[in-house]
Amino acid sequence: MTLLTALARALAAEAGRAQPIRTVRHVHLSGRPLVFIPLQLAGEACAPLAAMAGDDRDKPRMLTVYEPRDRTQRFDFAADLAEVVLGYIDSYTTADPGPEAPYPDAPQVLVPNNGGISFTRLLSRSTRFRRTEGEYAVRQSVPLLGRWLNFYSERSEAPASALLLSMTAVLADHWASGQSATEDANLAALLGWIDPPEGMTGAAAARAAEDPVRCPPAGPATDPTFDNEVLAARIGAIRAAKARGDGAALQRAQLALETVLKTQLEPTWELMWRAVDLLGALPAGGHVEDRWQADRRAFTGHVNWLRQGNPPAPRKDSAVAAASKLARMERDQQRLAVQRAYDDPLVMAEYRLTSDAFAGIVVDAQPDRLDTSGKRAKLRPWITVETSDEVIAGPGTEFASPGRPGQQAHVIGVAPDGERTRVILELQSGMGRSLTPPPGSVPAVGEAVTYTTLTDDFQRGPTFPQIADTPWTHGGPPPQYPGGADEDATEEWS
Amino acid sequence: MDPTEARLAKLRGSVMPRRHDARTISALAANPGCGRRALMDAAGVDKQKLAAYTGYPAPFGQSQFAIARGNAFEAQVKENGAAQLLSLLREHLSLDVAEAYYTDLGDVGGNEASEVRHVRTRQLLATVDENLGTMFDHPLLRLRVGGRHAYLEPDLIAFQLHGKFSIIEIKSFAVIDDQADPVKVAAAATQSAVYVLALRDLLGSDDKVRDETILVCPENFSNKPVATSIDVRKQLTVIKRQLSRIARIEDLLSSCPEDLTVDLEPDENGIPRRSPGEVEGAIRQIAANYAPECLSTCELCYLCREEAQGSTGALGKQVREELGGIEQVTTVLGLARGAAPSPDREEVAAVLAKAAGLREDLL
Amino acid sequence: MTETVEALERRIDRLRVAVREAVLAGDKARAQTLRADLRRAEQDWEAALAAAEAAEGAADAGKPGAADNGGMGGERDGAGHAAATPAQTGPLLPLREQVYEALSLLQVPAAPKLIATVHEAFFATTFPTTRVTSLRRDEERSFRTAPFARPYYICAALAADFLSPSRGLLAVSTWPMERRVIGSLSPRVDFLEAAIRVAEAIERIPAPVPAARRLLWRFAVSIPGAAADPHHIRPAAVRQAAEAEQNVHKDADSRTRREAAKRARQQLTDAEQLFGSKTFEPAGRTAGKAAGGAREATGEEA
Repeated sequence: MTLLTALARALAAEAGRAQPIRTVRHVHLSGRPLVFIPLQLAGEACAPLAAMAGDDRDKPRMLTVYEPRDRTQRFDFAADLAEVVLGYIDSYTTADPGPEAPYPDAPQVLVPNNGGISFTRLLSRSTRFRRTEGEYAVRQSVPLLGRWLNFYSERSEAPASALLLSMTAVLADHWASGQSATEDANLAALLGWIDPPEGMTGAAAARAAEDPVRCPPAGPATDPTFDNEVLAARIGAIRAAKARGDGAALQRAQLALETVLKTQLEPTWELMWRAVDLLGALPAGGHVEDRWQADRRAFTGHVNWLRQGNPPAPRKDSAVAAASKLARMERDQQRLAVQRAYDDPLVMAEYRLTSDAFAGIVVDAQPDRLDTSGKRAKLRPWITVETSDEVIAGPGTEFASPGRPGQQAHVIGVAPDGERTRVILELQSGMGRSLTPPPGSVPAVGEAVTYTTLTDDFQRGPTFPQIADTPWTHGGPPPQYPGGADEDATEEWS
Repeated sequence: MDPTEARLAKLRGSVMPRRHDARTISALAANPGCGRRALMDAAGVDKQKLAAYTGYPAPFGQSQFAIARGNAFEAQVKENGAAQLLSLLREHLSLDVAEAYYTDLGDVGGNEASEVRHVRTRQLLATVDENLGTMFDHPLLRLRVGGRHAYLEPDLIAFQLHGKFSIIEIKSFAVIDDQADPVKVAAAATQSAVYVLALRDLLGSDDKVRDETILVCPENFSNKPVATSIDVRKQLTVIKRQLSRIARIEDLLSSCPEDLTVDLEPDENGIPRRSPGEVEGAIRQIAANYAPECLSTCELCYLCREEAQGSTGALGKQVREELGGIEQVTTVLGLARGAAPSPDREEVAAVLAKAAGLREDLL
Repeated sequence: MTETVEALERRIDRLRVAVREAVLAGDKARAQTLRADLRRAEQDWEAALAAAEAAEGAADAGKPGAADNGGMGGERDGAGHAAATPAQTGPLLPLREQVYEALSLLQVPAAPKLIATVHEAFFATTFPTTRVTSLRRDEERSFRTAPFARPYYICAALAADFLSPSRGLLAVSTWPMERRVIGSLSPRVDFLEAAIRVAEAIERIPAPVPAARRLLWRFAVSIPGAAADPHHIRPAAVRQAAEAEQNVHKDADSRTRREAAKRARQQLTDAEQLFGSKTFEPAGRTAGKAAGGAREATGEEA
């Protein structure tokens, strides 16, 4: 929460409609994302009940588990889901990108909320170690699906990745509603604020969306009154038909269950694609493509990892892997923050409020100024920027400008000028090798510029030992094939 | 009846006071600053009913699938003389093999009345030879909440080697690769803290009951139980504070009108005599302290949320802090648009105006 | 015909919304009425659809198997699950005899769930535990109507303190009273005894079914030193481990049971000895108890 976002929430509350808090979209949005809406049975660790999935808004694929407590059917569900998900993933690996190059595009998965991501992680955990032969054999595709879901849920923890996104999180990152963050976790309510139906305020639309009877929750949990009044009777009918051995009645009961589950999934399906449209209407931020390229590389790497026949990721990270992951995440987070500020003046505004940046107009420029104090003369232009932002930096402080990211600017002096402040900056780099700067490399008088102390030259991360050299204080090297697939296969299911 | 009790009875009206259980008592700890809630709970008002009648039905409910799963897991852990639980305790607390006693306090010679069971529980737990009692199932404890006794039924109490009791809480949420849903763990910790308090009350001694309770959950995706120790000292402090606050309810009462009531007494057709509007008006006379967190803990949350419209607190604690702690959205926006601030708000007003200006320029 | 189904579907949709709204509004009475309407409408829908299918089936009588193999995943489920049920639940013996078989194998009081599991493991049929619960009531009624008319009764285990029926445990009337009273160590001793009996039963069969091995494994995991993993479990090892632990508890448990059994024989009527004392003070405090129990029994006969 930042001051600008808080203010935007206050404005939204007053206006009865969500307010934008970004001028550009900060996540990559695929032209053909896979929307995945899972539902699970209440009370169970990870008992899929139904799901809607697909990359074509007009052709959702619906999967139903007729007896969610039956482990065989759970894995049948996983196999059906694998058909959808693996089919989608495979469609991105048809081209041969050549050695070292990533695939030209990567598959993107969108779930409604953070619960959807947790479900993805749990489903991966329950499927990726399963064996495809022996006593508790599952279909070939099941462990493979698990490994992909693990890749996606792991990537969702990386701050800059857009491979698996929670829709409510992405929307809340771009719009401020007039309600609390807790309430924003409801996709329908949040969209109500952002894009209310004709003739309705966002506030009213959000309230209406909170009625679980008219507007089903976006999962994975279903509404308790749905469970108790509708679902229980449908599952009961299936059990009864099965117990009687009445095939026709069983089919009717299964159809009836599908019908009621569809009512719980379809509205969310519509909402997801509406959200995709809303986000798609925003122009992408400058660094979004760069970050997506990193995602494409990660995706390509995982395809190769699987093709090389490597074992599945362990249930828990080893000590070395966990530490280096954490350090990497911290660095990524920092770099992401810088990129977002550079890409979006509204994000940069947060830094202007805290005097980590200022924006203004160039009122004076000496583009040909030379520093002759050393052995050789160096090109060191000076410019004077007039700003209404507060500048607390002293002489010597280094600034950079999103407009000229490679160029450093050192403060020479700061002088108040009435309501405004004048900052004299000495520029360095990004102007070629000669003593005359190329046109445009030095800001001209009258140009609007922004300078910030945020820079993208992040520090190198600490080095960690190789996994095989894990110190004994951290448990020593983990076993070659962590995860204990055997133990897992015999786990009793409820 | 002392005057405080009389006022509370008046507030509740003609209906029977709602019984507390471990769940409702743990809920007391969720928003200790809320006077409305403290008063309602002290008076034993049925908040759920009140919320529904006034048109703000509480957004909670429990799925029968979750309930069934919970019951099945508990039954499984306890079946055959709690064989599975005993194995866990042996592993977890290094119980001696001889310590395998299992006493069911679910009825007393076929009588299941709370009072009878409570007396029997006290009698047994207070006097049992420490070598002749290990596990006590279905004990009936009680705790004083706002002048009334609430009966509580923990899942099980273990009796340990050295004459010290531990509360065991059996929950059916899974612990997967040593991790469980932190929200559920926190709720279980608070609930077992309520039992610790009640058991200490019953035995008249704090030393005889451990601060650490034992949480039993299914492991990974299986039904295999796994035990985890939880330190509940923090939860104990919070609950004790809130219970004593409810005990000193006079202070809260003194700020309400003498004849205040949220009575839902029905007429001959079973419909409350007072209109929903009247009842809501009465509720609103007691000051609340709404925060978005109430949405998952208090039955009256939607009513309070409606009332809190226009406050920065309704947008979240962090939003309010960012906006300099100013309570009303209109005040915030007034300052942002250049209204003259009071002397103590000059600084925040300047930042708000600057922020509003930036938004204006950039959008 | 189709229209009726569609009209019913619309009504069902409306009722579902209405019942959930009533629940949310805390209107229990209304919810109950609506719920009943909903169930009826759902049954009508089911019947209407079945009738429509029957009519269609008569029309395409030439297509065999049309009813049990339709679209939409029906085949997967139809096949996978139909097999699980009818073959195994066929009641070859009356319920009381099946319970007797299982209890005779275990030789200790047991809960319906264990009884059903044992029967499934060793006698190949199982039964819903809910039916077992009502069995004890039927047996008591039969005994009170004509005492000792049957060679055995499925009766209660008695709580050692109050000699009241122990919750959820069943026993056989011909067992000695010492075996049917339950002190606070008895659940453990009986669990171990059951493990021994199950292990012995498995040792007697040349090729035990998976259900039997699973049962043994479930005992083994709760007995120290009985077995380390489900694939290498030896009945003899389970038996020895159970016996070893039983030796720790046996004396204390037997003392309690002998004392309680003595009290029961002295103070309870015949019916009470089998089905437990319903009075609620500790039995044996007053001499009038047994007479009171007898009066109660006569009252029921009249």
